[in-house]
Parts: sequence; C-alpha cells; structure tokens
Amino acid sequence: MTAALIRLSGVGKIYQTGKVRFEALKGIDLTIAQGEFVAIVGPSGSGKSTLLNILGLLDTPTSGTYHLAGDEVSGLNDTELAALRNHRLGFVFQSFNLLPRYSIADNVALPMIYAGKSGKERRARAAELLAQLGLGSKIDNLPTELSGGQQQRVALARALANNPDVIIADEPTGNLDSHTGSEIIELFGQLHDQGRTMVVVTHDPRVAEHAKRVVTIQDGMLLSDVRDADVAGAAVLP
Amino acid sequence: MEYLRIAFGALASNKIRAFLTMLGVIIGVASVIMLVAIGEGAKQYIRDQLMGMGSNMLIITPGKTETRGGGPPMMSGVHKLTMGDALALEKRATALAYVCPVVAGTAPIKYGIRERNVQVAGVAETMADVYTWKVDVGSFFSKTDIEARRRVVVIGRTIQKELFGQENPLGKMVKIGQTKFRVIGMMARKGSMLGQDVDDHIFIPVTTGMDLFDQDGLIEIITKVVNENMVEQAKEQIKAALMPRHGNEEDFTIITQAGMLDTVQAILGTFTYVLGGIASISLLVGGIGIMNIMLVSVSERTREIGLRKAIGAAQRDIRIQFLIESVTLSMLGGIIGILFGSGVAVTTHMALPAMPVSISLWSVVTAFSFAVAVGVFFGIYPAMKAARLNPIEALRHE
Repeated sequence: MTAALIRLSGVGKIYQTGKVRFEALKGIDLTIAQGEFVAIVGPSGSGKSTLLNILGLLDTPTSGTYHLAGDEVSGLNDTELAALRNHRLGFVFQSFNLLPRYSIADNVALPMIYAGKSGKERRARAAELLAQLGLGSKIDNLPTELSGGQQQRVALARALANNPDVIIADEPTGNLDSHTGSEIIELFGQLHDQGRTMVVVTHDPRVAEHAKRVVTIQDGMLLSDVRDADVAGAAVLP
Repeated sequence: MEYLRIAFGALASNKIRAFLTMLGVIIGVASVIMLVAIGEGAKQYIRDQLMGMGSNMLIITPGKTETRGGGPPMMSGVHKLTMGDALALEKRATALAYVCPVVAGTAPIKYGIRERNVQVAGVAETMADVYTWKVDVGSFFSKTDIEARRRVVVIGRTIQKELFGQENPLGKMVKIGQTKFRVIGMMARKGSMLGQDVDDHIFIPVTTGMDLFDQDGLIEIITKVVNENMVEQAKEQIKAALMPRHGNEEDFTIITQAGMLDTVQAILGTFTYVLGGIASISLLVGGIGIMNIMLVSVSERTREIGLRKAIGAAQRDIRIQFLIESVTLSMLGGIIGILFGSGVAVTTHMALPAMPVSISLWSVVTAFSFAVAVGVFFGIYPAMKAARLNPIEALRHE
C-alpha cells in the first residue's frame, strides 16, 4: 500500500443559516493513496459536493482533520490554502470554466501565473500539455471556437499545468454528449495509468466503471467504499 | 506586470464602457488644467500690465474706502478733490515727481459728418510723463493751455482713423459735445491695457474738461513718486498737504500700485481655487463612476474570480488585479484629461491671443496624482469585494 495522499478523519460540516442548521457531512473517514482513481457517487443532497469542496480546499470542515500529503490543512490561512490549491490540486469542472477572452494557451497557463512562473515557461508548458491532449494546433484559438469535448480537454490541461498531486473533477462529463463524455473518461483513465491520483464526483455510471474505487455517500455519511472488482452500476444511485 | 496585462485585457474587451467610465476623470482633470491655466494666465497678465505702468505710481481718489485698491470711490465724502488740491501737492509734496489731476467722461466727438462716442480724459500736461506715453505727431498741451482753459485736444490713433481716415487731423476743428476743439496732437499707438483700447481715448486739458462735464471736482489725482524707495514718504506728504485743506479729515484714498496688485492677485487667486474646487468635484464624480463600473465588473466576472481562486489565486492576488484595473482606468483618464485640457488651453490662446494662458506644472502634477488617488480610493471597495467572494458560490454563479 502506497502512502496516504489524502486522509480525512471524522470530517463533519455544518451549515448554519440563521436558525436553520444543516449537517452536510457527518464524520467522514476517507483515505486516498497516491495513484488511486476514486469516484465519489451519491444522490443530490448527499453531501458529495461538500466533500469535494473540502477535498479541494475551497471549504473548511467544521470538525475533524484533513491531511494532504502529510500536512494538516485545517489551520491554514487564505494565502496558504491558495498556494496549496495552486501546487497540489488541479480542478476540472462540469462547465469547463474557461475564460472566454483568453486564448486556450493563456487559459492553460493561468495557474502558472499564480505559481510565479515566467511567461516563457508558461507558454512552453501550455503548448506541451495541449500537444499531449491533441490540441496542439489550436493553442491560439478562443475557447468558444472549440467543441465541448475540446474545451474540457483544455480544462484538463489547465488542471495539469502545475503538475499537481491530485486531479479533482466535479461531474466532468455532465455537459458532454455520451461520445465525447467517453473520450474524456478514457483520458482520465490514461492519466491514472500514468500514475496520477484522480478524484471524481459523478453521476455518470461510465466514470464509475472506469474508476478503481467507488465511494458512495448518502445523507452525509459513507455508505459504501468498493474497490476494483464488483464496482459495476450497483453502487451508483440515480 | 502580469496584473497590468490582465487589466488592459479586461478594459480592452469593453472599450466603450472603459472610455465612458474614464470620461468623468477626463473631464475633471481637463477642467482643472484648463481653468487653472486661464486663471494663472490672467494673474500673470495683470501683473505684467500693472508692473508695466511702473511701481512708483500713487493714485488719490476722493472718499475713504476701507477696502484696498480698486472699488468705485464713494462720492459721499464731504470734500471733493479739486484743482487746488493738485496745486497744493505740486508745491508741497516734494517726493512726487509728477502730479496729474484727472476728470473723465464719455462724450460724442464729431468731425464733418462722422461722429463717435469716446472716452474723454481731462488731464494735466504731466500725464504723458506719468504714464510714459508719447505724442508722435504734433504736441501735447502745455501748462499755459491748462491755465487758459484752451479748447485743444490730443487724440488716440483709433479715433484718428475713424474720424479722419487718411486726412491729416492736425489743426482741424472737432466738436466734442457742443464745444469746438482744435486737434493739436496724436498719441503714439499703445494698444490695449486691461482689455481697454487705450487708443480709443482723447485727451483735453483738465480745466477744459471740468467745464465740458460741468464738474468742480476731480475723479482722481495720479502722481508719480521720484523713486520707489520714497513711496511711504510720498504718502505722508500727500496726507500732510491735503488734510488741512479737507478740514483735517482723511477723506481721500491713496492707492498704491502694490496695493492694486495685491487686491487683483487675491481676487484672481480665490477665483483660481474656486474653479479648481469645482473641477475637483467633477473628478470625485468621475471616481464614483469608476467605483460603479468596477462593482459591475466584479459581479459580471464572479465566475472568473471563483475560477482564479480555485486554481490558486489568493485574496491578495484578486485584490491587486481589480485595484490595478481601476487605477489603470483613472490614470488613463488623467493622461487623456491632461492632454485634452492643455490642448484646449493652448487652442484658446491661439484663437484669442488676448486670453493669456499658463499651464503650470503644479496643476498637471496635482490633477494627475488626484486622478490616481481617485482610482485607488474608489477601487478599494470593489477590489475587496472581489477578493472576499466565496469561491464555491462564485463558481456556481450564473
């Protein structure tokens, strides 16, 4: 067993709006090792988005601890969290979230700005990544000139820009037709084969099929955690 | 550097909006530059004009005015200034080089069928010395002309051209009011002073002038002190000479060149500050415009902010990005405003040479720094707002 990259112990999240108190997560224990491909599934309102936001350091748990690559992150301030998001994590969103006025090369280079890379380094790395993902001829195009599948590949290149420890994806196939969705899933599989750690929140049973481990969340609690073998649709809830 | 590129990119993507937002600052800065240039120009012009008259001139007006310098003399004083006063000054005030009693009014002047209303100055033979004006054709009238109340006139060049055209006016008879006068000389061309055409004046002996206007008092006595160091002494001597003749009351005012200058400078200085103040208000309004558009920009780009945060931008990065954007707006506005304001000021001067302008460095520097400060001040709130956005909500924003 490889070292634990992500370790959540007793993570809970309570939202309090006025007098309404909502417990989104109730003591989650989850360990993800280097190189795993984990799908997090569960019905809407199950708390899987909250879990993803906490994993992605966009939100902080109200209880429990989160160790990322061995470091406890719950006490960190905004600047430190931003730096961790920048270096260790790469985000892929359902709606791509590319900046429409920037060329796709500039979009891919964006995380490197905050990492303090020089313009030359950024251009070289962006071109390299886009070439790997089959978009080498489009680096000067605007995102709107690309198809949905191509846009998601640009987003994936952007997530890889700073060579992160973990790729965190939120419904990456949600806005794509089944064919291009499959292509993106293939790509995730390839990245996993290259040793990347992937955490994907999804409704898409095909993603779950590709994943080597499926974690099911319901009512803020871990319902099941199934590895490799019998990961078929069984665990995927509507 | 990177932030500057982002800021320019964001502004360039919405050029009309950026320009309209800058317009407030442009107008504010341009008006500061323009108004200060005109105010300063007027100040310099008046200073030059007054200084050109020589700083050792003293003007005595009847009545005691409390305000310094200008202002219409109050004729309520019991005693008028008379020819006798002027003679007393000539005799007793040794610090005065020249004394020139003055009456003035407007009257129609007629030669043949041509008639024209002119400024008539009844003066003494010393006037040409006081003002260092010259007669270039014929001669000025003499002391004898004054004592004998002769009806002779020296005319300005504008009058000569209007009434006589190519004809030689020397020795010709003209009618001023109902009285006939003989032209004995013409003043050299002097141009205008304080916006008045000096060449549009005619000069007659002061005694004749009092008859013409049916006056027994003078409107002022103009004197010239021997030299600048004797001004105080001259003032004392004037008081000593006149007060016994006025029932020991100081019912006259001595205006000094310096006093006039101070008054005019003070008025114009206030004027300049008031204009500057009004212009600053429009700069402030421009700043509010910037804040408004920055807030719109923040809410339009909520998703972008959320994304930037997700991929590693700290609050500080977002804050700087938006602050630079607002400062870029106000700075560009400031530069355009300075160019535009200077352009208008210079064009005004070229179109109206009589309108002096002086673009001062301090007004350019002040207006520009003010514009930048406006960008920072009104940019802080939107930038903070952007920096504090919750990335999760920002990413979900439509």
